[in-house]
Amino acid sequence: MAREVAVVQASIAREGGQELRLRWLLGGLSASLVLAMLVAAGMGAVQVPLRRLVESALGMSTLSDDQRTILFVIRIPRIVAAALVGSGLSVSGLLFQGLFRNPLADPYVIGSSGGALLGASIGVFLLPAVSIAGFGTTALLAFAGAIGSIVLVYWLASVNGRTPVVSLLLAGFAVSTMLSYSSYFLETLDQGFGQGMHVLSSWLHGTIGQPTWPQLAIVSVMLGIGLAGSVPLARRLNTLALGEEYATHLGISVQQTRIAVILIGSILTAAAVALGGLISFTGLIIPHILRMILGPDHVRLLPATALAGALFLLLADTAARTIIAPAELPVGVLTAFIGGPFFLFLLRKARREVLS
Amino acid sequence: MPLLEFGHINFGYGSGELFHDLNGWIFANDCIALVGRNGVGKTTLLRLAAGTLAPQSGEVRLKQSVLRSMKQREIAKLVAFVPQNVDLPFSFTAEQFVEQGRTPFLKMFGGLGVADRKAIERAMGLTDTWSLRFRVFNELSGGERQRVKIALGLAQQPQLLLLDEPMQHLDIGRQFEMIDLIGTLRREGIAILASMHDLALIEGVFTSVWLLSPDEPMRQGSPREMLHPAVLEDAFNCPPRHRPRLVERTRNRMELAI
Repeated sequence: MAREVAVVQASIAREGGQELRLRWLLGGLSASLVLAMLVAAGMGAVQVPLRRLVESALGMSTLSDDQRTILFVIRIPRIVAAALVGSGLSVSGLLFQGLFRNPLADPYVIGSSGGALLGASIGVFLLPAVSIAGFGTTALLAFAGAIGSIVLVYWLASVNGRTPVVSLLLAGFAVSTMLSYSSYFLETLDQGFGQGMHVLSSWLHGTIGQPTWPQLAIVSVMLGIGLAGSVPLARRLNTLALGEEYATHLGISVQQTRIAVILIGSILTAAAVALGGLISFTGLIIPHILRMILGPDHVRLLPATALAGALFLLLADTAARTIIAPAELPVGVLTAFIGGPFFLFLLRKARREVLS
Repeated sequence: MPLLEFGHINFGYGSGELFHDLNGWIFANDCIALVGRNGVGKTTLLRLAAGTLAPQSGEVRLKQSVLRSMKQREIAKLVAFVPQNVDLPFSFTAEQFVEQGRTPFLKMFGGLGVADRKAIERAMGLTDTWSLRFRVFNELSGGERQRVKIALGLAQQPQLLLLDEPMQHLDIGRQFEMIDLIGTLRREGIAILASMHDLALIEGVFTSVWLLSPDEPMRQGSPREMLHPAVLEDAFNCPPRHRPRLVERTRNRMELAI
């Protein structure tokens, strides 16, 4: 009896230790995110020193009009956008990996981003994307596109409730390619303004351009809904990892959970794509690295993934707009350079572990 | 009062009928081995008992409530199903795996409480898997994995444990460990229904045998009655020329049991 009590206490203590580790990680990520935002706001063609920023934020000094315009119209919206996009992509990657029971799933790889892009393109070519209603509709169409493509890929790739790596990647690749090129097709139908073409081209490259504050507000709301919706799903994804039969037996409604994950994951993908277009591999790298630190428990992974994704894409985007200044690199190019090799490394590892 | 009752069950996949008017009762202290040839429906019967499949007609009753009218969460608090194979895509530890057994007890947003921790620790203690708790489930040996799976079932604090081929892929030493574990579970007052492939391991462990054969009513009896060459030859469709081999095996069994 005494032993039993001691053991339970030890278990709770260890649980406490893990809790502490998670808290440190979350604290560290939050602090880094704030710091990175401040530093990124100062970086660019016009440098604004960090001290000036902090002072003006505290009302101790004022910025020049030029500095103010650069900060509030150009840099800060972009910084916020990068954080939102990174967070959305990473969390949807985490959800899709749980849903597909496959650590290689990612909104880009499985074609969900492609679907969102096609949906969004329809919006851009039919409606003026600059207006709030127009952007809202575009985001909604992106959401519909994301759902459509993931349902299609899921249906194509699943074999007896499992999605083998090979069929997931092939189905995702095919659907994603078809959808992306359908967007080009829309472009040729676009007569006139050229506005749509410009937007589409930046989406296909994965560029976070100059979002307006209303656009950011819409995407923030979508991200908020997506994150809040993920919270009750995280534990279910743990149980779903045991397989459909086990999860059903333990009282999880598998079908409902799947539908919920597809909806929430698609909202997050659509939010990210509406701002940043096709940004590859972020949803793959971030959950994977965190899984190495925290283990596979989705409940613990969820908040860490949201923060780390925001931080990662903010850093990547800041690098993309400064390393070859005054020219800018689409951040999608950068994530592809970082993520591509990482993905191949995982695939190589998966061949040994998952497929064997 | 039976813990679980199969009443006039009819069930089949597609057009073929697997069970016709199947009846059976499981009482609190029963330890039943479910035997029969491949494809006869052993796993299906376990799934019917777990509530993950529903009969086409007839009713499964759990403590006199109709199973199909119960919520799966409520069923899972009384009946635990331990499947034959588990295929985990991520590297969960043994403890995280066993924690899933508390799923039916958790609220929508709630985490594990002290009572849940205690149930997990006790389940892992009984199955002698506490020392494996930080190990990655997928890296455990077959015998260890089998015990951890049973620990997940025990974390549900069930009154009835359904085991699908618990002895499969175990070497003889691990089979003896499993026999000891089943003895421990019986002392805990948990009823057991286990599908068994290896008839040699039934006697002295299980209190009764349910024998399924195609197109015939299920037969029930003590291991001594049911593991009789004449009964088995028919049920397992053994060619007559192998009768001496079958007799020898079952005779050995009898001698071992004495």
